Amino acid sequence: MSVLWPSLPYLLRGAASTVVLALAVLVVGSALGLALGLLRVVPWRVAAGAVGWAVEVVRAVPLLLLLFFVFFGLPALGVRIPTFPAAVLAMSLWMAANTAEVVRGGVQSIPRGQYEAARSLGLGWLRTLRFVILPQAMRRMLPPFVGLCTILVKDTSLAAIIGVFELTRAAQETIERTLRSFEIYGAAAVIYFALCFPLTRLAARLELRLGRP
Amino acid sequence: MTPAPVYTFEWAAVWRGLPYLLQGAGLTIVISAVAMALAAALGLALAVATQTGGRIVRSAVDAYVELFRNTPLLIQIFIVYFGLPQLGVRLSPFLSGLSALVLYAAAYNAEIFRAGLEAVPRGQHEAAQSCGLSPAQALRFVIVPQALRIAFPALGNNLVSLVKNSSLVSTIGMVELMFVANDISFNNFRTFEIYGTTAVLYVMLVLALTRVLHAAEMRMARVAS
Repeated sequence: MSVLWPSLPYLLRGAASTVVLALAVLVVGSALGLALGLLRVVPWRVAAGAVGWAVEVVRAVPLLLLLFFVFFGLPALGVRIPTFPAAVLAMSLWMAANTAEVVRGGVQSIPRGQYEAARSLGLGWLRTLRFVILPQAMRRMLPPFVGLCTILVKDTSLAAIIGVFELTRAAQETIERTLRSFEIYGAAAVIYFALCFPLTRLAARLELRLGRP
Repeated sequence: MTPAPVYTFEWAAVWRGLPYLLQGAGLTIVISAVAMALAAALGLALAVATQTGGRIVRSAVDAYVELFRNTPLLIQIFIVYFGLPQLGVRLSPFLSGLSALVLYAAAYNAEIFRAGLEAVPRGQHEAAQSCGLSPAQALRFVIVPQALRIAFPALGNNLVSLVKNSSLVSTIGMVELMFVANDISFNNFRTFEIYGTTAVLYVMLVLALTRVLHAAEMRMARVAS
């Protein structure tokens, strides 16, 4: 227990980096994911098909492999990326694929009648999407999206494996000095819990309030 | 100035690595199947306990579920493998990886089964009781079979996650597909070829699994109706 207090500031600095990493991925990944998700529901068959295929492939690959592919695989092609941007890139791909799936699910859950009603009012497909479908779909997308953010915060721990400084890496470095794995990893787990649990509760509450029409 | 060298994809590296990667994929399948079987049993036991047990049991299960769902699997693996020996519990990489995967997946399964049990209509309990079944018999023969069918799609999704999550146990030296991929590419430096091949194997594995699960789901729906 006595090793815990002196190590805490360092772990908290790691936690701050975890938050920065998660936010960077959140911004890049969900913007890309929103665009991809919308491409899947527009009436351009080829684009929708290609995006659907790419999303399925990225979602089928473990995040750890994506990370290794970007960090160790791309340098073979002459593209050398430092650890932090490599982690942001790999995780943003993962986040984008999963966000696209959430967007598609939300849009497709809107009943056909809504499209037909909008079309019969004379709205084009773009305006139908913008003013009729998306406002309703957003409500259904929010709970699974917050759930996705929880998974993202947990999965930023994988960045430690390629050497990004964040909470898990900070814990590993502390353990190299103190040799107290149980306490330090336990403390890291508590910090992760403090970050993730509010998000989990938020997702559950949103689901109760928005999920059911 | 000389032009930038063009990358040549070395197929020979793929063919040399493939037998080992396929073995690794086999291990990934075995590990995922064993972990899922254990996690399903544990998850079902926990869900039934929350339905039949008292307040204390319910709070304990809740605490377990929230704790394991809100912390990274990687940290859980490290605590089991690096942390527990400090308390005198020394497990091999295989047992450490397996138990961490089981505990993590069981937390999700417990929630899935709980939702399944709660979705079985009240009338089924009453009907079972009025047929003279004891509460245990009602659970065993009436409620749980229906809950399993309701829970099946979510369990399938969790299995797919487990297959992907099993790659994390490579970090403590448990041999599976990801471990083999790292092992080969750190030796021959053909990282692009080896990780690319590994990605193809994971995609084939996951897509095949999703198709099988979907077919099983359709079949169950047909049998039920």
